Amino acid sequence: MNHDIDIKKLQVNCFRQSKVPGEFMLQMRAPGGVVQAKYLAVVQHIADTWGNGQLHLGMRQTFSIPGIKYENIEAVNEYLRGYIEEVEVASCDVNMDVNEGGYPTIGARNVMACIGNSHCIKANIDTLSLARKMEKLVFPSHYHIKMSIAGCPNDCAKATFNDFGIVGIAKMEYDYDRCIACERCVETCASHATRVLSLENGKIVKDVCCCVGCAECATVCPTGAWTRRPTKFYRVLIGGRSGKQYPRAGKIFLNWVTEEVLLAVIGNWQAFSAEVLNHQPRYLHGGHLIDMAGYEKFKEWILKGVKLNPEAEVAERLYWTETEYRSNIHVKPVCGVD
Amino acid sequence: MTANIFKPDPYRIADIVHETELEYTFKVEAGVKVDHGQFFQISLPEIGEAPISVSGIGRDWLEFTIRKVGKVTHRLFSLRRGDRLFMRGPYGNSFPLDEFRGKDLVVIAGGTGVSPVRSLLKHYFDHLDEIRSLHFIAGFKDRGSILFADDLKDFAARFHAIYTLDKEAIPGFQSGLVTEHIRKIPFAGFADYNVVIVGPPVMMRYAALECLKNGVSKERIWMSFERNMSCAVGKCGHCKINETYVCLEGPVFNYTKAEQLLD
Amino acid sequence: MAYRLSLSRMDELLEKMRESYTIYAPMRFEKRGRYSDTDLVRYDKIRSVRDIVYDEKSHFSPKEVIHPITQALFHFTEFEYRESEVDERPVLVFVRPCDIHGIQRLDTMFLENGDAADPYYKRLRDKVKFVLMECGKGWDTCFCVSMGTNRTEDYSLAVRFAGEELLLEVKDPSFRPLFASEKTADFRPEFVSANRLTVRLPEIKSRDVLEKVHALPLWESYDTRCLSCGACTAACVSCSCFTTSDVAYSENGRSGDRRRVWASCLHKDFTVMAGGHGFRKTPGERMRFRTLHKVYDFRARFGGADMCVGCGRCTDRCPQLISFAATLNRLSGEVDRLNAEAAAATGVSV
Repeated sequence: MNHDIDIKKLQVNCFRQSKVPGEFMLQMRAPGGVVQAKYLAVVQHIADTWGNGQLHLGMRQTFSIPGIKYENIEAVNEYLRGYIEEVEVASCDVNMDVNEGGYPTIGARNVMACIGNSHCIKANIDTLSLARKMEKLVFPSHYHIKMSIAGCPNDCAKATFNDFGIVGIAKMEYDYDRCIACERCVETCASHATRVLSLENGKIVKDVCCCVGCAECATVCPTGAWTRRPTKFYRVLIGGRSGKQYPRAGKIFLNWVTEEVLLAVIGNWQAFSAEVLNHQPRYLHGGHLIDMAGYEKFKEWILKGVKLNPEAEVAERLYWTETEYRSNIHVKPVCGVD
Repeated sequence: MTANIFKPDPYRIADIVHETELEYTFKVEAGVKVDHGQFFQISLPEIGEAPISVSGIGRDWLEFTIRKVGKVTHRLFSLRRGDRLFMRGPYGNSFPLDEFRGKDLVVIAGGTGVSPVRSLLKHYFDHLDEIRSLHFIAGFKDRGSILFADDLKDFAARFHAIYTLDKEAIPGFQSGLVTEHIRKIPFAGFADYNVVIVGPPVMMRYAALECLKNGVSKERIWMSFERNMSCAVGKCGHCKINETYVCLEGPVFNYTKAEQLLD
Repeated sequence: MAYRLSLSRMDELLEKMRESYTIYAPMRFEKRGRYSDTDLVRYDKIRSVRDIVYDEKSHFSPKEVIHPITQALFHFTEFEYRESEVDERPVLVFVRPCDIHGIQRLDTMFLENGDAADPYYKRLRDKVKFVLMECGKGWDTCFCVSMGTNRTEDYSLAVRFAGEELLLEVKDPSFRPLFASEKTADFRPEFVSANRLTVRLPEIKSRDVLEKVHALPLWESYDTRCLSCGACTAACVSCSCFTTSDVAYSENGRSGDRRRVWASCLHKDFTVMAGGHGFRKTPGERMRFRTLHKVYDFRARFGGADMCVGCGRCTDRCPQLISFAATLNRLSGEVDRLNAEAAAATGVSV
């Protein structure tokens, strides 16, 4: 077998090096974590024909097919053409040339999302259609970025641990006359959210400062007194990550922005990355680029030309020191064992 | 427009008596015809309305003995003599005095349940000739919760009275629950009689069972029910039990009916 | 008389009707539903017949027009309780046949129960006229046929929507002049004659069986399923319960409103008295209370029809997917068994 393989090149092509020399794992993108179930046949064909018959449900919602031999990669890439055309171009309107070469970049990772409001009773947004719009904005790109979209602040999508985490939130409206003071919303806000509701003078009052926009109140209201404003709103967290070195939860960068604003911000991502890296893409994820630029610069570049909606809130400053540490250095032996 | 049955009228408070730390009796100037066992919807601006039974009836006054629980009754306690009290009523049925006439009467009351029978007892105190005898068992939790202490002394002089505290004995009061004293009533010696039981739901149930055990037939037992009410006129639905509305058919029920009220 | 009218012509006539009537109909509130990107269909004042949602069952019933969710009863000061004002204008409401029956149940409660009519209900009810909307095939949670509420003659106008046109029967003579020059048509509303759901009603034949019905383990199964949220009673056209409370306007609390707000027997505080003692402490007990009120107690008290009219909105709105039709059928099965046991015990065949 060939022992002279450019694994960097294959990585960019979305093939990951195996511990078995000459074997690779293909990572097929599935933006928003959804594809038509018929593509399982495509996945199965690749795994059975060129892989080892296994499918790993990738950590970032990719179809990951291990055990592909180097010599078969060309055939796999050729076979992938139809899948990429349909999933990337037809579904997401991604601007790219699809050819026999397979995936052109690994930089922008598969955009993750929870199932969203097409199914979930808690969700506030259509995560899939948003994921597809995001895919168009960030793919293909050599700049590394990890994004995840959560339908509600429950954050099953772990938006908190991505370079850009997007959370669907809702502005709530209260119809005073429809309220029967049953306090279901008060109880639910207390048990599921941030305890911002209380009963006063036979009706509900809200401490708007701390409402996270989860819309649990609307979900449980028996009379429809609580409703979501039809306009969708988003919270954007930045700088979250896992990792060996500096794992940390993301922090809120933008709150109550509209989809238009959100898309404009993400649309600035590649330009921001190019600016920070002097147009030389490196294997560094978005969070690190924000750190390199510093929050003030990041904010300036990422909001360039963005017209914020009136409800929008922007973080004035972000402090990371209290949550960022070299992994494990705060854990010390306690029994005198070295 | 139809006459507004929900409109409360103002009445002047003539006196306020502190029965206990938690219970005050409000005497209001009202020349309203009221039967023993009926109740009023008492209201206070800012708070709301609550059903309160009449504890005393005079020619031109009424008394309401109210426990300091809940929002409505709590607010009442800041009123003073001369203030106005808004109320509407009377509502509900009353104790069947015609049925009691010429017979022996047993009244068993627990705690605040003494209030709804107080006017009945006062009536027989003045008109003992209307009935053959009156046996009265009154039970309170402790010495701090004794209501109408002066009245109880008067009643003891004219009725066969047994007063009891749940866990202690003091002069004039034995120890034990009211149910423990029911067997002392000489039911077998009565030619014809009735039993009135008023108190918390659990007390009423066990007192009735104890009466049955002592040979009292269900038809002779009368109870007064307390329920949450918003209207007292059969509209709000809060006091409904099965097909019965306590505000309309009650609060006084014969036990043959009361035992069928399944909650 | 009946007429065929284009929607735009009907809108012109509606505009004239709006001079003397306030007109309510089920309307769509886009994206205002319980879950994201679902709509809310509820009653409100319409301006055009195109506002009317006729091909979907409204989530909430028309009762809120006559028995408002929140209603001021009095304005109070330190010195008096002054009755609240009401718009004197008569009201037209677009309703289904089951709704008309449901409002008749409300009439029984508010106008007949007790010694006197409820003045607040009466002052609105007296002004209301119904426009009957045809149901077509009905919906999958309806059981009006089982409840005998699928037909009615108690309406002023009846309407069938047909694309850009509608057919309108004018029964109430006071509306005839308005339609005098319109094109007549041969139209009488059609009623649903069969639902997809069939509900059997429990036949509780004795006090003894009723007591056993109260003790059925069936009710306990709702202890874990029912949230006691009261979405069912809020959606129900015949649920009438309310709570009265006072609200202060001013800082010193000396003036304000006494108001009536819907209550629900499913809520755990429904029976709680000053001092904290209450009855029916479990969701199952409250479910039993509601169920028996709907299909036993009401009829036991007033005779005639059951309180439930089979509109199925309680089922539609239950966030826990409890079907009231299924509950009734389960109950009826249990009652059959109890009746048979009672008959066997007395040696009488059923």
